[in-house]
Amino acid sequence: MSNFKKALRKSVGLGTLAVLFLVLLAGCSGSGNKANSANTAQESASPAPVQSAAAAEPATGGTFVYGRPAAVTSFDLHNEITSNNAFAIDKVFESLVAFDSKGEIVDWLAKSHSIGEDGLTYTFVLRDGLKFSNGTEVTAEDAVFSLNRHLKVGGPLEISAKVDTVKAQDKQTLVITLKEPYTPFISELSNFSNGILPNNFGGVTEAEFFKKPVGTGPFVVESWDPAGDLTFTKNPNYWQEGKPYIDKLVYKLIEDDSQAINQLKAGEVNAIESLALQNANEIKNGTDTAVLTNGSWVTEQLFFNTLDEHFKDVHVRRALALALDRDGLTKALTFGYAQTANSLLPTTIPYNGNDTIKPLNFNVDEAKAELAKSPFPDGFSTKLLVASGNSTRAQEAQIIQAAGQTIGIKIEIESVELAAFRERFFAYDFAAMLNSGQADSPEANSILAFQTDPEGFSKSYWTHYTNDEVTKLLYEGQKTADGDGRAEIYSKLLQTLADEVPYIPLYYPDILIGARSSVQGLTVLPNGSVRLEAVSISK
Amino acid sequence: MMKSKLVPTERTVGNASHKWLVIALVKALAVILCVMTAVFFIIRIVPGDPAKMILGEYSTPEALESMHHALGLDLPLWDQFLRFMTTLFTQGDTGNSIITGTSARELIAQRAPITLLLILLACVLAIIIALLLATLAATHKDKLLDHLIRIFPAITLGMPIFWVGLLLILLFSVRLGWFPVGGVGEGWSGTLHSLVLPAVTVAFSQIPTLVRSLRAQMLEVLESDFVVTLRAARIPNSVILFKHVLRNSALPTLMLLGVNISYLIGGTLVVEQVYGIKGIGSLLFTSISKRDFPVIQGIALYCALSVVIISLVIEIISWWLDPRTKGKQ
Repeated sequence: MSNFKKALRKSVGLGTLAVLFLVLLAGCSGSGNKANSANTAQESASPAPVQSAAAAEPATGGTFVYGRPAAVTSFDLHNEITSNNAFAIDKVFESLVAFDSKGEIVDWLAKSHSIGEDGLTYTFVLRDGLKFSNGTEVTAEDAVFSLNRHLKVGGPLEISAKVDTVKAQDKQTLVITLKEPYTPFISELSNFSNGILPNNFGGVTEAEFFKKPVGTGPFVVESWDPAGDLTFTKNPNYWQEGKPYIDKLVYKLIEDDSQAINQLKAGEVNAIESLALQNANEIKNGTDTAVLTNGSWVTEQLFFNTLDEHFKDVHVRRALALALDRDGLTKALTFGYAQTANSLLPTTIPYNGNDTIKPLNFNVDEAKAELAKSPFPDGFSTKLLVASGNSTRAQEAQIIQAAGQTIGIKIEIESVELAAFRERFFAYDFAAMLNSGQADSPEANSILAFQTDPEGFSKSYWTHYTNDEVTKLLYEGQKTADGDGRAEIYSKLLQTLADEVPYIPLYYPDILIGARSSVQGLTVLPNGSVRLEAVSISK
Repeated sequence: MMKSKLVPTERTVGNASHKWLVIALVKALAVILCVMTAVFFIIRIVPGDPAKMILGEYSTPEALESMHHALGLDLPLWDQFLRFMTTLFTQGDTGNSIITGTSARELIAQRAPITLLLILLACVLAIIIALLLATLAATHKDKLLDHLIRIFPAITLGMPIFWVGLLLILLFSVRLGWFPVGGVGEGWSGTLHSLVLPAVTVAFSQIPTLVRSLRAQMLEVLESDFVVTLRAARIPNSVILFKHVLRNSALPTLMLLGVNISYLIGGTLVVEQVYGIKGIGSLLFTSISKRDFPVIQGIALYCALSVVIISLVIEIISWWLDPRTKGKQ
């Protein structure tokens, strides 16, 4: 047998050598591949300071790879609302006015705008020499066509103002008249769905146009897999001189959170869009990674179904609000990347009332006293609906469960998959649920209209909360011009909501973008999108 | 199957084997039909509305209604099922993707090559590593090396495949930087390079059972009379090993790999997700979360087809290697 074993060992030895050789070969070809691949992230090995203001001359050229959790499925700006599509649409189409990183309205395609004293006439003057990415000139007629199509389509982010006419006064001047004043109009015009596209889709059909869209934005779609990656090239006709600095922008689909973080750490992507709160510090403390943040337009909330047998009672809702330590919850779960919410509106939005509103602050004795006033003084059992796959929300649910326990409310956590979760709350098939509310524009009305109007199609965010006084204030706020009058209206409205708690605002999470330290000039917007025309990758 | 083991191989290749093949094909068709029916009804029982996925969370009831109509989701379930089966048999397709509008078959065809390559690589790796380990174990029977190799399956069988994947990424990609963390590189070398870790991960789940089976078979063959006879006939040891021992031990292992093929495909789909590979697995994941019925059904169809076909091929190969096994699977 010994000879035989020798032969076996020899063969096995040779086999092992072959495997090792293959592994080495793979390793070598890999390092070469990484170095010369122009399509993956480019950067220097040594860490550079994040967003250094001193960088006088931004580096030009190169490809910026942005990891995103969902693929872009459509560019039809009037029919879309999801961020996966919106944050690609806003790279191709731009609106007359825009919002900056602080959420303030700035002129964008318009070089100036004015609003008539009666609040009915809006006049916009386009920038000189403005061109679409295909080189054709942008005129007021293009804006007329774009806004009229939006009015016709309606869509999920419809123009809420009662528009009378949209007219081109001359080649560069656009005049919009309203039937009645609607103060949020100017800020609603800043959202992505009011981007300007060429008149009559530039002579192609609607379907063709949105497959290869033409806009004024910094980037142009080069190749697009609706179930995968999206590649943009820079718009050579972009109106901001010298921008974009990068040649190519790739939206790389990375559905898995840990995969995204690992790709960022290994430098395979330059930045990732949705960085989970629990991963923020790991990325922040990384030697060559950084966290870019900004305040968001999001309020994380606990929603009550006001048609539910228990939560229709205001004392029950108030009791749970008083039993819940929102400060503690925020500190425990958000790693310093959020602010405790005192009002329904985040602090990034004007008239948010965070300093003036008196919310129901944590007090167990008061909570018990409040529950005693309800038809369920000894407590009851209920369920809390949560979408699975979000670990922060799962922890929120447990904290809320524990808070309920202290006053005798037994809460069973019901964790269901996202699609099922949506189905359930749209059908009012829940007692309480965890979700967030997000403004579409820097406007108090944006979240309030969605969450307080029982006749609106969202039925007070599917809580069915109905209070005529609140609805009246909401409409008044829409018609009152900016100023102290409007502040007073919203302050009253928000205080009523804080007292009746159809939803408990928990916290305002920051927007977190994970980036390589070599990334410069990336602006994080409060809606979760980013501006990339000024982005550059330091060498 | 009352035939004597002494009946020569040539005579069995006649009507009887023909019949066996027909029965196997009918069984395969029945399996496909059952899978398609089950998938059709299961994804419709699960809550979640595809129309809402297309129109977004804030769609109006009217828009939803017209989308339901456009997608044929307003029809009675049995009607939908009949239409689905008709399309399946007349066009060999499960319809157009609800999300992207392109044919499900096309979408799957775009993604299939990378998944197939990954499965192939994983199989090759699993077989090479299993052969090495089993041979080492068999030739070191009851020694330390044998014990170590036999403990290995006991440990690794308990590890979830995605977890193994994550560990490999952390070590070989993030820490050492030898392989990309995710995605697929460009060109042949780039592609193979990026598939090394995923293939190892998938292979990892197959190796323990393969080693166990192959080692047992090799020990049996090594101690059998014909090996002693061959050695007495001064046949070179390498010839004995490769031509006789391995061929005789390979059959049950090959059958095991055939049986495992469904696990292998399932494992590959999970591993694709972990490594960010845009193959069938990630398409399935996205389609399920978006309730893209035609694509989910299409993937189920092709996965079931591959499992059935590969089982059939394995059956034929094993019959070729050893005619006694004909029809006995």
